[in-house]
Amino acid sequence: MGKQLLLGNEAIGLGLIRSGCRMVTAYPGTPSSEILSSVIRYKAHAPEVVYAEWSANEKVAFETALAASWSGLRAATAMKQVGLNVAADPFFSSAYTGVVGGFVVISCDDPGPHSSQTEQDSRLLAHAAKVPVLDPSTPVEALQMTGLAFELSERFQIPVLLRPTTRLCHARQSFDSDAVLFPATAGPQARGFHKDPQRWAATPAYRLKLHVELVQKLEAIEQEFEISKLNRIQGSFGENGSAPVGVIASGVAFHTALQVLRDFGADIPVLKLGTPYPLPRRLVTDFIRRCERVIVFEEPDATIELQIPDRTRVRGRLDGTVAQAGELTPERAAAILAEALDEAGFPVPAPADERFTALVQGMALPPRRPRLCPGCSHRSAYFAIKRTFGPQAIYPGDIGCYTLGTNLRAMDTCLDMGGSVTMAAGFYHAGRLLGDERPIVATIGDSTFLHAGIVPLANAVHNDARFILVILDNHTTAMTGTQPTLASVVGTNGAAALPVSIPDLVRACGVRFVREADPYDQDPFQELLKEAHSFTRAPEGGAAVIIADRPCAIFDPTPIDAHPIPVTVTEECDGCRYCVEAFECPAIVLRPDGSRVDIDLKTCVECGQCIDACYKGFIVPQVELQHA
Amino acid sequence: MPDLQGRIVLAGVGGQGVIFASRLLAEAALAAGAQVMVSESHGMSQRGGSVAAHLIIGDEPGPLIRRGTADTLIALDRLEGLRHLPVLRPGGAVFINAVEGFPEPVRARLDELGVSACQLDADGEALRLGSPAIANVVLLGFVAAHTSLGLSLDDLKHAVRGLGPPPSVKINLSALDGGARNANDPDHGHCAQLRPSTVALEQASR
Repeated sequence: MGKQLLLGNEAIGLGLIRSGCRMVTAYPGTPSSEILSSVIRYKAHAPEVVYAEWSANEKVAFETALAASWSGLRAATAMKQVGLNVAADPFFSSAYTGVVGGFVVISCDDPGPHSSQTEQDSRLLAHAAKVPVLDPSTPVEALQMTGLAFELSERFQIPVLLRPTTRLCHARQSFDSDAVLFPATAGPQARGFHKDPQRWAATPAYRLKLHVELVQKLEAIEQEFEISKLNRIQGSFGENGSAPVGVIASGVAFHTALQVLRDFGADIPVLKLGTPYPLPRRLVTDFIRRCERVIVFEEPDATIELQIPDRTRVRGRLDGTVAQAGELTPERAAAILAEALDEAGFPVPAPADERFTALVQGMALPPRRPRLCPGCSHRSAYFAIKRTFGPQAIYPGDIGCYTLGTNLRAMDTCLDMGGSVTMAAGFYHAGRLLGDERPIVATIGDSTFLHAGIVPLANAVHNDARFILVILDNHTTAMTGTQPTLASVVGTNGAAALPVSIPDLVRACGVRFVREADPYDQDPFQELLKEAHSFTRAPEGGAAVIIADRPCAIFDPTPIDAHPIPVTVTEECDGCRYCVEAFECPAIVLRPDGSRVDIDLKTCVECGQCIDACYKGFIVPQVELQHA
Repeated sequence: MPDLQGRIVLAGVGGQGVIFASRLLAEAALAAGAQVMVSESHGMSQRGGSVAAHLIIGDEPGPLIRRGTADTLIALDRLEGLRHLPVLRPGGAVFINAVEGFPEPVRARLDELGVSACQLDADGEALRLGSPAIANVVLLGFVAAHTSLGLSLDDLKHAVRGLGPPPSVKINLSALDGGARNANDPDHGHCAQLRPSTVALEQASR
């Protein structure tokens, strides 16, 4: 392969393939999605050797891959940090049962957060589950650690968590495949599932025995981490073997610290920890003993810090030296290190000149928020919902591109995957107690419905919750890069797959009002919403489900391309901003003087949907204007 | 060029091709024998929001460039250019795709810091070349025609050929040339402090 640029997630994918991993499952979620995509790409030459699957959700993905491990194969599952919450049940349980073939759980954390609900630390969840963690700091190290994770997993028959963060997942690093050493062992010969009910189907009495085993495994792993090459000291102690300031760092924060120290010209000892759990306590304690003060740089939370037996000399997140929320940016690291070095008598460069920052801040540049794409079917659905039910209705929402429905004020809640359906039911029952009769209109995407919406819908119907659920079916998992869903006719590997029918599923949940409609047909769609509302209010009625059926304009632009409707804005436009705020298409641009809007031909996809967005009729098809 | 080094920030709006532009520079630096690390924005930020890529050339795998330490800022959008100006170190250079230059107080501050400010209507040039989507590559051609990057126009052309596919190679090569030609054209590319390299201009005319 030679020299190339490797995305962090591609590096992990390559690591899985090179390690002889035979099954990889995942549910897409930023920043983890490209791991399975690259596995699919790398395995293309030998599709029958590796089984890859975009699973319905992270729990499904986890358990599917675990069965492969119990069959003796090397297996892995990849997800984002909140996905590990969904898979927490098997994650905790599998630490007890252990594994046979190497089993690597990859959970990508998102300090920032850039595209997540939380900044939670998967390493802390692993600590709670008693699962050892490897914490890479660059794409190339992630590739190497993938192999080491399998070895560790097999030697101790335990799941291993590989925990990258956003800045690693989405960094491209130059990589010389001929120069990088890789532990290319393929794992032991798989013999298929071997029955052992006291382990694989353990009752509580045996679970206790397994827990004792697990504790012993962790003790042995800690001893191994004490001498692991993944942990090393960079930089120098003073002549007397001690240092006024030292740093303990893991993950991307290690290189952030190094960069700042290099810029400052400061040579202090840095203990790089690739194994944050279980913490090699002797190594860490010895390091701390040689420093007058130690700063811990890790993300996104205090996993290492919490395990340090004596924190008297330690500064980090727990005492607020490192901010307890938000990314550990180079600016933050620089400020912390400058103060510590200054106190220790090191020469520190003058604080960065912030006058420019102040000047730019003073200009109050308008922030650019993300918006739904031109032609997006969600925009049309939300526009119809908002036109029909106005600002008073309660709009429970969910996770996906359509979370941007908040911009259109057609989404009031966004809790977690599938939360729209359960919360709609909860709002209904709470409203009954309170005498609050506002309509409740929930929205959920197709992939999210199949991930976590089915059981909540059955539960809502069974308990006679009355609300409208609009399933925004754009035929793909759009937000994360258009991965297939269970309803796709094409599966993970590009071959034909049996599509699950969303309308049939909804009917099977007991819903009696189930309609499919194209949200592009604005008037009929609004009529349908009214009809659904009547059904939720009728004595013999119930929950109503509308499936807004229109493919994502990025994933499948053919329906728009087949019937393009170029539009123009007439001279009469008075700049009332209604379309800008209620429709918010990137292709509708308000002039800087606010006098009127124009269509930006560079971004317009000619879907024609904005014609309905101007109730004054000033946005018109181009053909109509020519005839006039 | 094993000692090629630099910290470059690319800024723009989702859909403008910030990530492609950073990829192109990274491939060129890689081919020139340097180590590279690029930090990209994915996900939510790609839906029309502000997007930035940090490109570090040389032996320091830190993911982000600290404010006040970037050598070069390449902005595909005027507003995003303004927003990201604080990344620059004194003596750095900013290249911006814009019709209108920086406001006076900003220009004064850039002068004080010895920052070279270069401006090109890359959108206009891309439109003249018949493809509005290639403004990102036009701007890179303009940047490469000045000497500040350490990567020549030929380095970038080589990278374009490597990234393919053939139809986009052709249009991207013309974009690089289009940008570079403007470096010497007082009517279009405007750069008060930096002189375009004659080598680059020769490469562009070939």
